[in-house]
Amino acid sequence: MNEMIFEAKDLSRSFTVGRSALRNLANRFLGERTPTVLRAVDNVSLTLREGETLGVVGESGCGKSTLARMIAGILPVSSGERHFRGEPYDSLLARKRDALKIQMVFQDPLSSLNPRLRVGEIVGEAAVLHGLVPRSRVKDYVVDILARVGLPADSISRYPHQFSGGQRQRVGIARSLAVKPDMLICDEAVAALDVSVQAQIINLLMDIKRESGLAMIFISHDLGVIRHLCDRVAVMYLGRVVELAETEQLFATPTHPYTRMLLDGMPKISLERRKFMPIQGEIPSPLNPPSGCHFHPRCPIATEHCRRTRPELREIASGHVHACLNVEAL
Amino acid sequence: MSRVSLNDFARRFAESRTAVISLMISLVFVACALFAPLMSPTNPYDLTQLQLTDALKPAGSKRMLPGEEVRANIRIEAGTASVEPALAAQTRQSITAESCGASCLSIGVQPEGTKLASLQIRNLPAGAAVEGGKKHIVQPWWTVDNPEGSKVRIVSNSPLPENFTVLAIAKSLDQETDFVFRLGTDGFGRDMLSAILYGIRISVFVGLVAAGAAMVLGTSFGLLAAWRGGVTDAVIMRAVDFMLGLPALLVGLAILAILGNGVSKVVLAIVIVQWSYYARTARSFAISELGKEYVEAARCLRLSPTRIMLRHVLPNCMPQIIVLFTLNIAAAISLESSLSFLGVGLPLTRPSLGMLIASGYEFIFSHKYWISIYPGVVLLVMIVAMNLLGDRLRDLNNPRLDR
Ligand SMILES: Nc1ncnc2c1ncn2[C@@H]1O[C@H](COP(=O)(O)OP(=O)(O)OP(=O)(O)O)[C@@H](O)[C@H]1O
Ligand code: SF4
Ligand SMILES: [Mg+2]
Repeated sequence: MNEMIFEAKDLSRSFTVGRSALRNLANRFLGERTPTVLRAVDNVSLTLREGETLGVVGESGCGKSTLARMIAGILPVSSGERHFRGEPYDSLLARKRDALKIQMVFQDPLSSLNPRLRVGEIVGEAAVLHGLVPRSRVKDYVVDILARVGLPADSISRYPHQFSGGQRQRVGIARSLAVKPDMLICDEAVAALDVSVQAQIINLLMDIKRESGLAMIFISHDLGVIRHLCDRVAVMYLGRVVELAETEQLFATPTHPYTRMLLDGMPKISLERRKFMPIQGEIPSPLNPPSGCHFHPRCPIATEHCRRTRPELREIASGHVHACLNVEAL
Repeated sequence: MSRVSLNDFARRFAESRTAVISLMISLVFVACALFAPLMSPTNPYDLTQLQLTDALKPAGSKRMLPGEEVRANIRIEAGTASVEPALAAQTRQSITAESCGASCLSIGVQPEGTKLASLQIRNLPAGAAVEGGKKHIVQPWWTVDNPEGSKVRIVSNSPLPENFTVLAIAKSLDQETDFVFRLGTDGFGRDMLSAILYGIRISVFVGLVAAGAAMVLGTSFGLLAAWRGGVTDAVIMRAVDFMLGLPALLVGLAILAILGNGVSKVVLAIVIVQWSYYARTARSFAISELGKEYVEAARCLRLSPTRIMLRHVLPNCMPQIIVLFTLNIAAAISLESSLSFLGVGLPLTRPSLGMLIASGYEFIFSHKYWISIYPGVVLLVMIVAMNLLGDRLRDLNNPRLDR
């Protein structure tokens, strides 16, 4: 089995909402009961091996992007530990050049590119600043990378708004590749694109992965893409991982009731358009999540027990964990 | 900004005729400011050129040469006259003397055609008199008022002595010159046109420098607040709220009352008043930029916070800051003018437009309107043009007004 490239243990992240410290104080003073702390990510543990692709699925607002930002080291954690090749993030992030090994591709192809910089600068800036390539040779360097992601050499002197959505996402990918990462986090990297363009970008990511053996965390709410791309899949619900297994096993024998609902909502015959089917019941607010198992208001087999007890992740088959109190075996 | 979007911007700007006219007027004022020394007919700072005879002249009057007094001793030796000026002062005129017969001496003034108010001859030899002259009651002094041809003749019944000396004192009348005061003069006899051109120069200079310095300072504080957040943000923003709550003119008055007047102090006062606008604007736009994914991407590329703020966030806030800058130049100019009008701004010797308006204020009720009105109109046009320009830029920057 390959070496671990990344390990996360009990990652949590809370946000204070309502912003104003004064208002929070007033609320407390007046005994108002508006919850002001939002647990976007709640005790998530993950591992990633060298060269592996891990998928993360979940509904909107379940904390995927928050998790991705913490893994990328651009958002501090509220609690928990992150290790990159055995090294804790605190010391890794202090050495900027090594921290470059972790890169991220963002969801919105337009807002993730600085509108006032030319593509040459967007892609080449970090590589020059961190001394990966001398300033005199940066132009050739950028042209090479642009060619790798399928962009013509003259893109170098153009601005982001002069490109199509798919091309912009290629620029975003080129920007990450330019600093020679070993781990790439793609946060809904294709969600904003047309279906035909999505396929091109996914193929590009697969090619890059095949060429350079990158480890990848691929975040999506598109099950078909996840199934196509990933070695293992983690399913998230309201900030927690509820099931994690090898892709084949997860799709063949999902155990957690939430995962089953997700897969039931997925068209079986055609794998073309594969978004979530709406699952009955409101998605609860992460500000005020249900007690016990967060999923119990929507779960068809929920019991009184589920209302009170928080289910922990446990292994139910080799490499297959889930967090459900009532489902015992495959 | 790319060439394409710049062209686009210019095209959209030009859709408003008011904006184009405002831009042109503003450019004219900037040109006036730059080339005032070349364009203005006189140098209003040169106090030696001022003369009180020119004071308070209406537009179109000519500069007067004031009358002057010339004295010379005229010595007659063996029938020939020689003139020696009594004072070696710089004068335009000189006295001449020539004999006109055995008992006649003609005394005149050079250059030809000088109009004299009077010509007085002192110490005449006994028996001699000045033609058409009045003798002083006691002294042997003869005076001719408005002498014809600016000449007098000393005549005597008997021949004049061989050697004698008289003193001639010529007083000339005020004389018109070709120089025209196109916009009249102020209470010091200063050419208003020149004073206004130099006033524009000072006002534009103060406006640009003060608004520019306030922009740099305020934007830095705004970016700092946006980046650091927390206590730094709170402290800076409370200071901004405090400054915004005070009336600008009052703050300016207070500062200048403490520091005294002068260009640099007026600039300082305006910077203290205006930095808060930039801080507030820069902070709010920087916070919205900081929330965009390209900033997260920059952080992921492990760029330094300074670089992210200056190279990535600042350029994206710049359009809004430039708009504010345009509007604040006008505000700075009017603040400076107000302070100068109230007498705490710029010194009287280097008048800005506000100072000129103030200096004409005392004459306005005696119908000497031009001293206040002309600079006032210029100031008004300048401020209105710059405000319209700033408004247009702001509209173009506001995506909600996009069609
Ligand atoms: N900076 C923040 N301040 C306050 N709340 C936040 C912040 N970032 C995220 N959240 C909240 O945390 C929760 C998880 O957000 P996150 O963006 O991680 O969800 P997501 O799974 O990526 O959703 P999507 O699929 O819509 O991108 C949301 O309820 C969101 O409102
Ligand atoms: S723990 Fe209970 S509520 Fe939660 S998924 Fe399992 S059965 Fe459903
Ligand atoms: Mg997201």
